[in-house]
Amino acid sequence: MSQNPNPLPTDPSVRPHVYDGIREFNHRLPNWWLFTLYGAIVFWVGYWSYYEWFRSAPEGPQRVAQAMNQIEAEKLAASAASHIDDPSLWAMSRNPVFIEAGRQVFTANCIPCHLQSLRGKSENPLAIGPDLTDQIWIHGGHPTDLYRTVTEGVPAKGMPTWGPILGQKRITAAVAYVLSHHQEGEPIIDAASLPAPK
Amino acid sequence: MPPAPLFKPVRDVVTTIRDDGSRRFLFPADVSGRFARARRVVAVGLIAVYFLLPWIPVGGYPAVFLDVAHRRFHLFGLTLAAQDLWLLFFLISGLGFGLFFLTALLGRIWCGWACPQTVFLDQVYRRVERWIDGDAVQRRWLAAAPWSVSKLLRRVAKHAIYLVLAIAITHLFLAYYVSIPALWAMMRDAPADNWGTFVFIAAATGIVYFDFAWFREQLCIVLCPYGRIQSALTDDHTLVIGYDWARGEPRGRPAAPGAGDCVGCDRCVHVCPTGIDIRQGLQLECVGCSACVDACDEVMSRLGRRPGLIRYDSLAGLAGLPKVWLRPRTILYGVLLLIGTAVAAWSISGIRPAVLGVTRMVGAPYYVDGQIVRNQFLVRLVNKRSGPAALLVTARDLPAGATAAGLEAPVTLAALGEELRPLIVQLPRSRYTAPFRFEVEVRDPAGTFTLERSLEFLGPESFFDAPAASGPAAASVPPPPAAPAATNPHESPAPHA
Repeated sequence: MSQNPNPLPTDPSVRPHVYDGIREFNHRLPNWWLFTLYGAIVFWVGYWSYYEWFRSAPEGPQRVAQAMNQIEAEKLAASAASHIDDPSLWAMSRNPVFIEAGRQVFTANCIPCHLQSLRGKSENPLAIGPDLTDQIWIHGGHPTDLYRTVTEGVPAKGMPTWGPILGQKRITAAVAYVLSHHQEGEPIIDAASLPAPK
Repeated sequence: MPPAPLFKPVRDVVTTIRDDGSRRFLFPADVSGRFARARRVVAVGLIAVYFLLPWIPVGGYPAVFLDVAHRRFHLFGLTLAAQDLWLLFFLISGLGFGLFFLTALLGRIWCGWACPQTVFLDQVYRRVERWIDGDAVQRRWLAAAPWSVSKLLRRVAKHAIYLVLAIAITHLFLAYYVSIPALWAMMRDAPADNWGTFVFIAAATGIVYFDFAWFREQLCIVLCPYGRIQSALTDDHTLVIGYDWARGEPRGRPAAPGAGDCVGCDRCVHVCPTGIDIRQGLQLECVGCSACVDACDEVMSRLGRRPGLIRYDSLAGLAGLPKVWLRPRTILYGVLLLIGTAVAAWSISGIRPAVLGVTRMVGAPYYVDGQIVRNQFLVRLVNKRSGPAALLVTARDLPAGATAAGLEAPVTLAALGEELRPLIVQLPRSRYTAPFRFEVEVRDPAGTFTLERSLEFLGPESFFDAPAASGPAAASVPPPPAAPAATNPHESPAPHA
């Protein structure tokens, strides 16, 4: 640009420093730019007063605790029942809505081992899971035992830990579906009470 | 009260900022000419595209619908899910390389012709201003005039229209993210029903109004980073708007002997929306709007001289040197752009409307149940489509004798749904010799796509494991059941975790 028609004038407002031959003018910043700075300072006063002076907002750990409580409450509200016991599971097993929901969960997740009929090894000796319709229960003789077995699984035998996969709501439905193949008060034998087989 | 005399731009100060830091407002004069006409056509087309995209349905969705609430991004019939977010890399790098390439080749063509700031400012807001306040001279006089009923009415009318336009622009902007029907529903609700959205729209309207009513060229000159990196992206062969110094100088009256073509009418300065004098060379403030080109061409044609005293040309071209299009810079940027585009196209073509994930179930890596070795997997399917889908899952490349249970029926997924299915693979122990790989494949019944995952089937180490032994295999694998878990239920309950 040697033909520059307007060479830079020597201006008294040029700052003294030079960097790589580049010099800097000492012009004022635009006022609107300065207003953003002043605005930030005003905001800071309010912000600092709110959080540090008056401490109007809860502290960090408190807010985390509040948020965690909120999440916990929503999880509980989303689950089918906060309290699971034998009578409530039996009651669900008579409810067609629960049974249908449970049938769907069972079909999606359980039939590879327990078969569509729920009869597992009783139907086909090569099946993986035991019969769920007979009256000899391997892992405890109560509906809550069944619920716990599904939730925690039997890792040594290959029964998966379904709790984190399905969640309480769907496990409850699946248990209700299995229980719908039984009657409350039928003579269920807890396998643990039997003498060990030969 | 007459307005202050026009400021003569110099290169060492920003025209729009006075020495005391206050704003010097510009009143760019009207200009007409071939570039003004072309820019208007382009701008009207772009505004039509901006406004119509959320309205045109493509494949059941608006042409562009960035459904943040459901994390689904519909782009001209292509639906991307949150799982495809990595493609954003190509959008951002593509924008970068595209802008680099375009800038090295054509300078600030984006700023002057396509940037929404320029398009809306020049073709919408300035036209409203022209309509209400008159031409540049009238606007300068009105701005300097004392307050009167007439001036107040004009100001109120102008800013009311500005505000309405800002509201329209922000609502349209929101429609890209919520779709037109949802936007219309929210507009009819009380603000309190969608409080967050209402506050967002109010704030965005305020910003847009402030930008186009007051801030204007300050955005391009001070805030926009693109203008600031120009000097690193352009070179002497980049197309810019420039003044033919050799032809124009020395300036003089039309009849003056020895004078160049420039008559010093300053028309190019009066029409400049950023307040520079292009005859002082390429400057940061120049957004390449070509108003000065049209202005000068008009004067030249009136004088019977050749147009193009101010024109689109490279600095080399203005200096009378040949123009070079292929330069290391344009080649490099172009190659990078091509590579990015090719990889992006290849990646997008690999996007499938479902996700398949297979993991080994929590528990032992394998189970030995009598004479059967068993592996348990969990198949995770995600339907990325917005309608229900039935997917067929099959296991391939299994050795003879192996069976896979759990995948018999098609898996039906709700719109955007996710399903987990157990997959139980069994192999007679006599056939198991070493770990082997097999494939799990998912396809839709119509056969439009398939997904595959490779899995490994594990079993007991035969080296440690005598054929009849029932004890644990190697220390590195969990013990398989000691006794055959046969049909009899009289086994002791396993300990719970």
